[in-house]
Amino acid sequence: MMKHFTYSVYMLLSFALIGCVPLEPSQPSSVYGGIGGARAPVGVTTPTPSVDVKVVDRVYGVKPIHYSRSIPIYFSTKLARTQKAIYKYSEPKRAYKRKGFAYGGEVSWRGWLVETSIALPNRAGRMLTPKPYMVLFNDEQIVEHILGYSHKLITKVDK
Amino acid sequence: MANFNTHFMVASGASAMVSGTLLSMEVVTPEEAVYAFLLGTLGGLLPDVDSSHSTSIKVGFNVLSLLMTMMIIFVKSSTYSLIEMFIVAGLVFVGIRYALLDVFRKISKHRGMFHSIPVAFIWGILVSILMHYFFGLNELVSWVYGLMVTFGYFVHLILDETYSVDLGNRRMKKSAGTALKFGKFKTLKDKWHTLIIYLSIPLLLSFAPDTALIQNAIFSHEAWLNFKDVLLPYNGRWFIN
Repeated sequence: MMKHFTYSVYMLLSFALIGCVPLEPSQPSSVYGGIGGARAPVGVTTPTPSVDVKVVDRVYGVKPIHYSRSIPIYFSTKLARTQKAIYKYSEPKRAYKRKGFAYGGEVSWRGWLVETSIALPNRAGRMLTPKPYMVLFNDEQIVEHILGYSHKLITKVDK
Repeated sequence: MANFNTHFMVASGASAMVSGTLLSMEVVTPEEAVYAFLLGTLGGLLPDVDSSHSTSIKVGFNVLSLLMTMMIIFVKSSTYSLIEMFIVAGLVFVGIRYALLDVFRKISKHRGMFHSIPVAFIWGILVSILMHYFFGLNELVSWVYGLMVTFGYFVHLILDETYSVDLGNRRMKKSAGTALKFGKFKTLKDKWHTLIIYLSIPLLLSFAPDTALIQNAIFSHEAWLNFKDVLLPYNGRWFIN
């Protein structure tokens, strides 16, 4: 009888102990290097895996996600001394552009626009005031860039 | 008063210097610098289009009629048949080159308000509006082109005033003060004309592209520093790079 009682107490205690131990947050194994992999030391923030949410607009197409990577690549062949360029971006906005009235004036592009400021050095090496650009996207593809944050023929749907 | 050739040579020389400077300061691309040069030269011929028998008016209206004809062809090439396009293009060319020129000759008076400072600015603003809305160019380039026309226009007016000084006889000619003027105030009609011209400037500016980029590129302290950077070899070595 005593033996059964002791056994039951052991069982209850072991279940209770297991219940008190917090579970590991579910992380992909690659972050910690798999089972038994090196863990991040206490106090250092580890990168939380971001989930790229694909925003699809029926009219304006897919919202670009990788613009901070594609814009510097695009401008590297368009501007001089881009190795020292400093880029800043706004969130992509839905926008459309009309052709110049000389070419008919109808809507020529509808998609996502990223306002980008680019600071570049001049040829003497002095950094200049950042120049504003509007980079026009069709999904993830850059279509065109326009100097300035405004143009009378461009309408930004998202302010 | 300087003749057509003198105006052409001086305006093209001055425009080449300015467009070259803008190119060196990286305000414009090489292609845009060529257009800026051409527009500056055209601006240097514009003030004489009010003279009924000048070469400027013939050249000006030839260029305008050809430009408009080409534009019609570009715009309508996808919708009109060849015959329709030729008819419309022919009508536009004849209409501008002959009919509009005749009307213009009747209503304009040489050395009227066309030779004045506010009209130089009006042409510049008009060109910048045209470039921005009609050709879809960005704000900076639209203003560069507009200001190049104004610049060429000023070169013409200054040249006319310079020619009104008779250095041999050390006297001023009768034409002195009729080119580089702020307006005409002799008669009531002149005063009305002047008033309308001045009032049209803010009205046109309300349609014009934003000026922030051109201010930063040409009329700012940074633009001055940028100009100084490109004026002399920055590493002190001449003709080496």
